Amino acid sequence: MIEFKQVSYNHPDGTNALDNINLKIKKNSITAIVGNNGAGKTTLVKHINGLLKPSKGEVMIENNSTKKSSVAELSRNVGMVFQNVNHQLFADTVKNEILFGLKNFGFDQEYIDERYELMTNLFDLGKYEGISPLKLSGGEKKKVCLASVLAWNPEILILDEPTVGQDELQKNILFEFINTLHSNNKTIIIISHDIEFLWRLQPNIITMSDGKIVEIDYSEKIFTNKELIDKVGLIPPQIIKIFNGLGIEKDIPINLEDACKRIQGLMEE
Amino acid sequence: MYFIANGFIYRKSNSIIHKLDPRVKLLISIQLFTLALLVSNLYNLAIIFAAISIFSLLGKITKRLLRTMVFATGFSALILIINYFAGYSFIYSIQIALRFIAIVCSTSLFFLVTSPDELEYVLRWFKLPRDLVFAFVTSVRFVPVILMDTLQIIDAQKSRGLELERGNPIIRIKKFIPILVPLIINEVIRSGELAEAMESRGYGISKNPTSLYSLQLINQDLIVIFITSISFISIIFFGY
Repeated sequence: MIEFKQVSYNHPDGTNALDNINLKIKKNSITAIVGNNGAGKTTLVKHINGLLKPSKGEVMIENNSTKKSSVAELSRNVGMVFQNVNHQLFADTVKNEILFGLKNFGFDQEYIDERYELMTNLFDLGKYEGISPLKLSGGEKKKVCLASVLAWNPEILILDEPTVGQDELQKNILFEFINTLHSNNKTIIIISHDIEFLWRLQPNIITMSDGKIVEIDYSEKIFTNKELIDKVGLIPPQIIKIFNGLGIEKDIPINLEDACKRIQGLMEE
Repeated sequence: MYFIANGFIYRKSNSIIHKLDPRVKLLISIQLFTLALLVSNLYNLAIIFAAISIFSLLGKITKRLLRTMVFATGFSALILIINYFAGYSFIYSIQIALRFIAIVCSTSLFFLVTSPDELEYVLRWFKLPRDLVFAFVTSVRFVPVILMDTLQIIDAQKSRGLELERGNPIIRIKKFIPILVPLIINEVIRSGELAEAMESRGYGISKNPTSLYSLQLINQDLIVIFITSISFISIIFFGY
């Protein structure tokens, strides 16, 4: 369980980035944080692995305050993949990039070898083992970043804008991957502006604006709330727009196949 | 790092000093810099620090200038120790250390109250080559961007268990490799993209591109030039 208790955060220049946040994120859940630019989404998640410490209030991870632990200690259980892959990749080879975290946390060689093999198989990165990660395409770089974080098997995974710069194929792989992690009892937190992707994923949604939480609810409830969507500067998913256009406000299908069947049914009626 | 860097980054303000012609701001900075290099006693150094304090108060930059001082104090302490152990008197070592702080503050004073645009106008006024001016001003303009990149890279690597604060000095230096490599690569990529974007918007076609703004001294600039120049000459000839 991740718990924010009356958390406020001021940037060093004095601007208020988070304002009295109260939030609980359940274990083994998929949660997405949405909101316009500058809403405080990244600031919020940086509190989970201790990169930022609250100016007021407390962030608890499994009943332990983040104030008492270093970033390295918290990162052992909280993996974070940043938006810009070029901010993370530095090693001379893909292998060394994936091993970076494992070595930092001081795992024994046997475990390192085992995790490395698992990651290269999972992400199909074995063929790039000796290549510089900087020479890979955007999608492959993202995979290396994910593999380098998942390598040490953190319980909580934070993905900051994971679909930015990814083509549809990569998004599909990411979609499957998130579901696999979820079925392996991981807690996943996603920051994203990609509403279509989130609609498919159907996570719990936290909407933010001006450093405050506006609403927390299921995807359908959030994305069908026009007033809320406008307030946090989002555009509803295409499927919702189509069905709203057809006069249907509830039980909107999640994927295209179901939507087609539903429309076919309507036409037959 | 954010704390220190803020001591060198320009922020818009409506103060008297910000409104001065950039050439006047440069003149003040050069005068203070020169005095800091030339003066040789604590009394004159006190005058320089008083002048820096007055300008920072008028420019509403005292807090950020103090950050510059914090940054400079670390190095000046080293200068003091080296001088003292090299056989110079303690008072002389303190003078040298304070001169260093004064030099850094006089430079920081200019950058804190002068926007990159103003800096460009001043350099062009000196008839420096356009490419050189552009390269210099762009590097100044990108300081906050590079700073933000650095902070994000540090966050990204810390999230993968990198502990910059642990280990002996050699290990700590080695730990900066995961920070420096992505930073350098990012900036090389960014400079390449910037060059392409500039070229595709016609940079370099005309040797004398139109300038929308020209520098003009107004009464308050002339008054400041008069007062500071008289003070500068007085200290040079009678002060030390």
